[in-house]
Amino acid sequence: MKEKILKKDQVKQLHEDLSRYYSFYAPTKVKGNIVFKKITNPEDIELEYLNSKIPPKEILFPRMETLFSYKIDEKNIEIEPRTDLEEKILIFGVRPCDAYSFSLLETFFNFGQFKDDLFMKKKENTVVIGLACNTPRATCFCTSLDYNGHPHRKDDVDIFLTDLGENYLVNPISETGKAIIDKLAWLSEANNDDLQKAEELSKKAESLISTKLDLQHTAEILDPSFNHPLWKEVSENCLGCGTCTFLCPTCTCFDVVEDVDHYNNRGKRVRIWDTCQFCLYTLETSGHNPRNTKIERCRNRVLHKFNYYPKNYDLIGCVGCGRCIHLCPVNNDLREIIKKINAIKNENKKEEVVVA
Amino acid sequence: MLSPYIPMLTTIKSIVSENGVNDIKTYELVFKNKEDEEKFDYIPGQFAEISLIGKGECPIGIASSPTEKGSIKFTIKKMGTVTSAIHNCEVGDIIGVRGPLGNGWPIEELKGKNIIVIGGGFAFSTLRSLVYYMLHEDNRANFKDITVIYGNRNCSEILYQDDLMKWERMEDIDVALTIDCAEEGWDGRVGFVAPIVEAVSPSPENAVAIVCGPPIMIKTTEDVLDKLNFQPEQILESLEMRMKCGIGKCGRCNIGEKFVCIDGPVFSQAELRKMHGDR
Amino acid sequence: MVKQMGDIQAENVEIEKKMREVARSLLIEKEVDVIIGYARGTVPLSSSPIFIKNVEDIDSLIWDNLCYVNLARYVVPPLTEFVDNEKVELKVGIVSKGCVARALIHLAKEKQVDPEKIKIIGIPCNGVVNRRRIEKELGEKEVLEISVSNDQVIVKGKDFEEVLPYQDYLNELCKTCKVKSPPMSSSLSDVIVGESIEISSVEDDFSDLSEYESKTPEEKWEVITELLSDCTRCYACREACPMCYCNLCFVDQNKPIWFGKTSEMSDIIVFHLVRAMHMAGRCVGCGACSSVCPMGIDLKLINRKLEKIVKERFDFTAGLSLDVMPPMMTQKMEDSEDFMLGEH
Repeated sequence: MKEKILKKDQVKQLHEDLSRYYSFYAPTKVKGNIVFKKITNPEDIELEYLNSKIPPKEILFPRMETLFSYKIDEKNIEIEPRTDLEEKILIFGVRPCDAYSFSLLETFFNFGQFKDDLFMKKKENTVVIGLACNTPRATCFCTSLDYNGHPHRKDDVDIFLTDLGENYLVNPISETGKAIIDKLAWLSEANNDDLQKAEELSKKAESLISTKLDLQHTAEILDPSFNHPLWKEVSENCLGCGTCTFLCPTCTCFDVVEDVDHYNNRGKRVRIWDTCQFCLYTLETSGHNPRNTKIERCRNRVLHKFNYYPKNYDLIGCVGCGRCIHLCPVNNDLREIIKKINAIKNENKKEEVVVA
Repeated sequence: MLSPYIPMLTTIKSIVSENGVNDIKTYELVFKNKEDEEKFDYIPGQFAEISLIGKGECPIGIASSPTEKGSIKFTIKKMGTVTSAIHNCEVGDIIGVRGPLGNGWPIEELKGKNIIVIGGGFAFSTLRSLVYYMLHEDNRANFKDITVIYGNRNCSEILYQDDLMKWERMEDIDVALTIDCAEEGWDGRVGFVAPIVEAVSPSPENAVAIVCGPPIMIKTTEDVLDKLNFQPEQILESLEMRMKCGIGKCGRCNIGEKFVCIDGPVFSQAELRKMHGDR
Repeated sequence: MVKQMGDIQAENVEIEKKMREVARSLLIEKEVDVIIGYARGTVPLSSSPIFIKNVEDIDSLIWDNLCYVNLARYVVPPLTEFVDNEKVELKVGIVSKGCVARALIHLAKEKQVDPEKIKIIGIPCNGVVNRRRIEKELGEKEVLEISVSNDQVIVKGKDFEEVLPYQDYLNELCKTCKVKSPPMSSSLSDVIVGESIEISSVEDDFSDLSEYESKTPEEKWEVITELLSDCTRCYACREACPMCYCNLCFVDQNKPIWFGKTSEMSDIIVFHLVRAMHMAGRCVGCGACSSVCPMGIDLKLINRKLEKIVKERFDFTAGLSLDVMPPMMTQKMEDSEDFMLGEH
């Protein structure tokens, strides 16, 4: 199917047409932060942005989500499952790294005997319209990752947009995406110049990614490095807050709490974001805590993404968005941690030489 | 697809206090819906997320055996928010159950073997399930000699005293009970579990040792089993960790890349030695 | 006491040089075993706390307007254990601007740090740049370089350069700060870089609060709700606060559960306001909580209001002297009680 052109002033039209069928989520500016919100007024859509502060995973895996509700009536209890999971969702303007995070999260939530029905149902009902990243940050490193990460990667979306300046080039990717484009008959045809321009922008964006990390052997280097002194070193200035994990597009850990409305004898069991960086995360009722200091907690975060993910799902649990790097309060830079890990390899090599 | 986060509802049929200080009780639960009972198809060593709606949820090992039809049992110690609230429950109250969860004892691998069950204190519930299961007339022929070594601090803390008395009288099971210090009226063994295992001296020949108890007991018992020439593959343990979902999603119960809730809680000592992780 | 604006950057370079000299000699003379200071961040608008044990690493120490973390945080247990391989406690030197020293003084009063084991390397501070505000205002243009010159903050990116007035872009709490250098205190073993100040009491008209105070309770509630609405409950504010050293924060307790952990607005507000209650007479106004917040929430309104209440009721400012008993640690018959019931 052929590529189309969406003029920037037609975004309104697009919103109007699609919000009839979908809950339309898009980046918008709230108190200076770009976040994805349900859009009712298309004027609020902000597409000139680097990347959102809170990743769009928040739409499918919100900060707080009801697992089920219940009614307590004397000694009787009635459980009410979620009924709102059929909502048709459209997420507009997602950067390629975050779009890939949806695929990654799907792999995780769908893994094993027990599927996370809440995430999976919502994902099933979600259409993703991606937006090429022409302005990667200095902290971005998607091209270093195993998923062929690229600021113009199109694989994880239904429709892919490229900002050509005045217009967006519209690439239908999935069957769903094609069907949607079919319905938007008012879109104009793209010409060869448009395609060429998109191609140039893609190359330029790639060249703008200055962080190159060697992640080829990181997982295997980490295997024997569980007790390496590195972990003490890289956790030294960590404050133990949840910034790196709460704003990570691939972090999925949650806590489960009760939200009870005692006056009306009702309640909800909800899950809320949790993080392995909190001491309480693993504290057992007995008082024993397997990850009692920040050394173990920092180590767990890195190992989870760069060793456990490869072992369990054969992929790295990181998309290279760089949020944890530029938002860490103490600038505990993941890139530096990776470099230090990779340096262990050389350490090992040197030892081998000595032994030989 | 029914949400794996939604508990099935049960009613408390009976409550048995298991110890002198009354902080360990066994709850017998009956499913409100017959279909739920059929769905709850478990093997010994598995656990369930027990919830008191409005208070929260916690993982508890299943103490009953699948051969005990009609109800399931959980032995619960009063520890945190949820277990304390459950301890305030009465017969007839509603308890939510999600499960069965975890891998359980590897029944198929245990068949044809001599089984040595070694327990300490409160950690006997899934061992009770296993012993009860093996002794059932349909299953007994599948297993060779069964030995139970069970230690407690004092005799008022011994769980499942009725079952143990019954087992002690049976011909096809050896039971060695021990308490840490001698007490008036106690004519059983005295001493920690590890030296009692050494005294009983089970043969590693075609045997599997199943060990559950407090960390220090596990450690000392492992040393004894090693001395008795048990290989790490012949020693099984069941782990505990803080859990929320029990289905491998909430993240916290990992030891390295393994989740205790779905890859465990039962691991062989050989597996545990290979696992790098915090525990 | 408004200091004449000199060339801030030149001043900082000078301080940095002297600070390194002091730090070097402290390490060489073995007066301290480790120096906690700031290192250059790997991303613009940041700095990174660093722990220096070897003299050859001294040149990693920096001093500029982005040294926003309150380093006193690191000497409060259980965050970092300063011990050698034999578990012998190490003597620590801390690069201390006014608010870091004030935090240490207050923590010493609360018996959380032993002044004998800490050496203050006093720094006269000329304020911390409000990086979250710069980020927010230029957010969709990536800042790659930042410098301060005369009274301007110059930020540069790929194809832009912006010049911002320094005074406007200071942290809100730095704007009202009256204690820029460590207060002299006989019992703390100080080495001061630059001039020291003697201060026993601060004069403050709290005029920055008058707009808020003129509001009705409903309007105030709206202001607070609006202020906190972006909170993700990552607790960076708490973790960065030198006064938040509780082993188990009230919000994390589950026997009993005091407050909900959800991200409902009511639970978020309760967390921040109850935390604020625990800060009364203890907050030293370092603004670390605001600098570290990933969402750019500025808690200065709450912090300033607390400071004012305590100043008015008890004539006390936290962390000025080891000789004055903080009001929350003592009780006098004449203590006023109206702060409990008054309208704020």
